[in-house]
Amino acid sequence: MDKLILGRYIPGNSLIHRLDPRSKLLAMVLYIIIIFWANNLVTNLLMLAFTLVVILLSQVKLSFFINGVKPMIGIILFTTIFQMLFTQGGEIILQIWIIRITSFGLSQAALIFMRFLLIILFSTLLTLTTTPLSLADAVESLLKPFEVFKVPAHEIGLMLSLSLRFVPTLMDDTTRIMNAQRARGVDFGEGNLVQKVKSIIPILIPLFASSFKRADALAIAMEARGYQGGDGRTKYRRLKWTLKDNLALLSVIALGALLFFLKNP
Amino acid sequence: MGITLEGVNYTYQKGTPFEGKALFDIDLTIADGSYTAFIGHTGSGKSTIMQLLNGLNVPTQGTVYVDDMAITAGSKNKDIKLVRKKVGLVFQFPESQLFEETVLKDVAFGPQNFGVSKERAEELAREKLAMVGISEEFFDKNPFELSGGQMRRVAIAGILAMEPNILVLDEPTAGLDPKGRRELMTLFKELHQSGMTIVLVTHLMDDVADYADYVNVLETGKLILSGKPSDIFQNVDLLESKQLGVPKITKFAQNLRKRGFQLERLPITTEEFVEVLKHG
Repeated sequence: MDKLILGRYIPGNSLIHRLDPRSKLLAMVLYIIIIFWANNLVTNLLMLAFTLVVILLSQVKLSFFINGVKPMIGIILFTTIFQMLFTQGGEIILQIWIIRITSFGLSQAALIFMRFLLIILFSTLLTLTTTPLSLADAVESLLKPFEVFKVPAHEIGLMLSLSLRFVPTLMDDTTRIMNAQRARGVDFGEGNLVQKVKSIIPILIPLFASSFKRADALAIAMEARGYQGGDGRTKYRRLKWTLKDNLALLSVIALGALLFFLKNP
Repeated sequence: MGITLEGVNYTYQKGTPFEGKALFDIDLTIADGSYTAFIGHTGSGKSTIMQLLNGLNVPTQGTVYVDDMAITAGSKNKDIKLVRKKVGLVFQFPESQLFEETVLKDVAFGPQNFGVSKERAEELAREKLAMVGISEEFFDKNPFELSGGQMRRVAIAGILAMEPNILVLDEPTAGLDPKGRRELMTLFKELHQSGMTIVLVTHLMDDVADYADYVNVLETGKLILSGKPSDIFQNVDLLESKQLGVPKITKFAQNLRKRGFQLERLPITTEEFVEVLKHG
């Protein structure tokens, strides 16, 4: 669990840390859209350069990002190799039996690899520099305009922050229940696959039971303290959109425009 | 025999930024057939010691001997499993470990993990459920349909069904009503009288005085006092300065002494106090 860097916040006071979480979230969405325009060497280099500059601005050590990519490397390589083998066209570079690697397949594979790498780097940057709670606030605030279409913005934001809040609690519960079952002679992670899967049941069922109980208690505690939904509710942490947020979004839009003109049609 | 801790140190999450030392050079013995209590404040290392007793934790330094088996930092899981069979561990709020469809199946789960046949395990389960006072009509019920107190008993039966020689209890009566509490404490007393070694972690000093024959006092990972309850509870001021307190009757007797009542030793149970009053 310690290895999973995705979703962990590193405190800091850099320009990126101080951006409004809404602008960071919007930039992330835009980034994912424009990355599909990066389909040749120049555009990819441009994307990479932009990403590296933003990473430098965040003042977070590069090793955190490398650790963020590490657990994903298996999936990335799997997809890349898949692309390489199953995209056909262009000249044939290598042919062994029915496996044929073509120039088109190779470039497609490189593209996919870059896309994965960049998206993971950028989203790691987002979670490393933004607290989970302010991300939940940002989601709520961005969904507010959609309330006319009956989108429950406040409830979605609340659900997000509640689930984030209970991650450590659930981890504690899991450790406690695992210890109790180990004391009853269960061996976790031993034996064949069937035995391994079977040994999960004595954790999962008590974990579900205690989570339901906890959710019930939480709901009652919230109501007892007068909670009645988002209407008229004020906030202790208020989001503030400033000039630097405009600039941040503009820079991503400018990057998008540049990519649009440089991409292969 | 019993359990012996020799120079035991324990550091949790070693090698991470969250590293912290929980136990410092603990030497102690839990004699075979004794009723040993552990008392200490939150964070004193009580729970860590409990988990060392049956190999859920292995000491970072030093050795834990359970009968003739030694647990050290390098012990293998396979060897430790034998220890877990000998030392039954009842966690705080053990009802959260129930998961089977029926009460009987849940109690029979433990012994089967140690290679007991299904038939024999069910036999054991019936026997132990009767022992904790769960009647036959509940055997086929879903454990989640029971009341909190009944679930607690079923969970304890689940540990007893493994037929441990040593029973370790972490605040087994927390959250129970006075009647349920008394019944469970009586059960543990009877188990002790039938030859089982009992280790009780608690913060109820009256329980220590009433049931235990030996007590260890822990503070921030160190063993600061150990001995017979009747000797340990003479240190009223020391224990109170550690926020642990003494049995109610001991405190009462100390107040009497302060007002000039002649008492050589402070009694720790009401019966003892009555004796002192009768015979001086």
